[in-house]
Amino acid sequence: MARKETGNSFNKILQNKFYPIIFLALIVFIAVVLLMYVNNITRVKILEQREAKIISQLKNIFPDMDKYELKENIYIILKNGKTIGYSFIAKGKGYGGEINTLVGINKDFSIKEITVLSNSETPGLGTRVTLSSFTDQFKGLKSADVVLSKDGGKVDAVTGATISSRAVTDSVKKELDKNIEIIKKNNY
Amino acid sequence: MNMEELEERFSAKKFWKELAKGIILTNPVFVLVLGLCPTLAVTTSVNNALGMGAGVIFVLLGSNFIISIIRKITPGMVRIPVFIVVIASFVTILSLVFEAYLPPLYESLGIYLPLIVVNCIILGRAEVFASKNPIIYSIADGLGAGLGFTIALIIISFLREVLGTGSLVIFGKQLFSIPVISTSPLSIFIMPPGAFIIIALLMALFRLIGVLKNE
Repeated sequence: MARKETGNSFNKILQNKFYPIIFLALIVFIAVVLLMYVNNITRVKILEQREAKIISQLKNIFPDMDKYELKENIYIILKNGKTIGYSFIAKGKGYGGEINTLVGINKDFSIKEITVLSNSETPGLGTRVTLSSFTDQFKGLKSADVVLSKDGGKVDAVTGATISSRAVTDSVKKELDKNIEIIKKNNY
Repeated sequence: MNMEELEERFSAKKFWKELAKGIILTNPVFVLVLGLCPTLAVTTSVNNALGMGAGVIFVLLGSNFIISIIRKITPGMVRIPVFIVVIASFVTILSLVFEAYLPPLYESLGIYLPLIVVNCIILGRAEVFASKNPIIYSIADGLGAGLGFTIALIIISFLREVLGTGSLVIFGKQLFSIPVISTSPLSIFIMPPGAFIIIALLMALFRLIGVLKNE
């Protein structure tokens, strides 16, 4: 008897016209609490991963660095508290989307090394801009030479991937010019 | 649903039937033709396929389980928003965990990881099965559909990666390499048209199996 009554009152709740709203609100509330909890657990680890990734990429270019400072999107590379170079990310529009390139430069503003961090180029074709056979050409170049050789510069485009090669080269040059100005102005 | 009911109604045969149907008979990719967008996009390598498959299995199991639990108290009027909230929560958990513990996989799956939310396989199983069936069979159904999807991804990506690059790389290790193909790879298979060709051929094969079985 008692059981039947609870069943009836439960049905009444289900038929209440505000029940769908309250139910949905409750579900959303539970989801939010759960996600906050998961976010709390993973947040530290995610930040660590991002930081570790940046450091390992910078270390590829500047093996003897020990610290970096980030100012106006420029990584100032330090060793024993002294600046040994600068680094920044250049974004170019490639054939399949954005190409992000990490550029490391020496104190005399010549390029030390570049690494393509991410791209959505055609596999086996445009993605060859990530290979050292392409990126090594940038070593030691000054801004004026960072132009494809078919446009009068010193960088040979990857065969069959001119758009990708141009995206990398042009974005590197643009960011290089811009950041040299910023570095000079602020005396970093 | 109480425990007595659960034991009374449980039949191992039905459990396996619900699990197995998702793999061949109603394979989400080859037979139902659902979730093609992620299928085309992430099958460029077996590695990505495994990551995507594992992610979808996790989300399907979680969402089918929760949606089946709340099926009797979910008002029909707001069921779709409820399903989406449940699915999106699982996907967000998955993407946070991947970013924290498997960053390389997180990066290679890119936008397709959050897009699991709108993968119609998951909403489809919630609407068609989990919202109407007991918990235990909903789990079997979710696992079956997830495995079917994963197996489809593995077959497609295996063919695409081997034909398109001439080698197979899993978890950063090269398993084998075919000299003839790797020197002059058939790049079309890595590109989107190759995905369509491979999927079409496999779909035809699955149709053939289905037709032969019915005869």
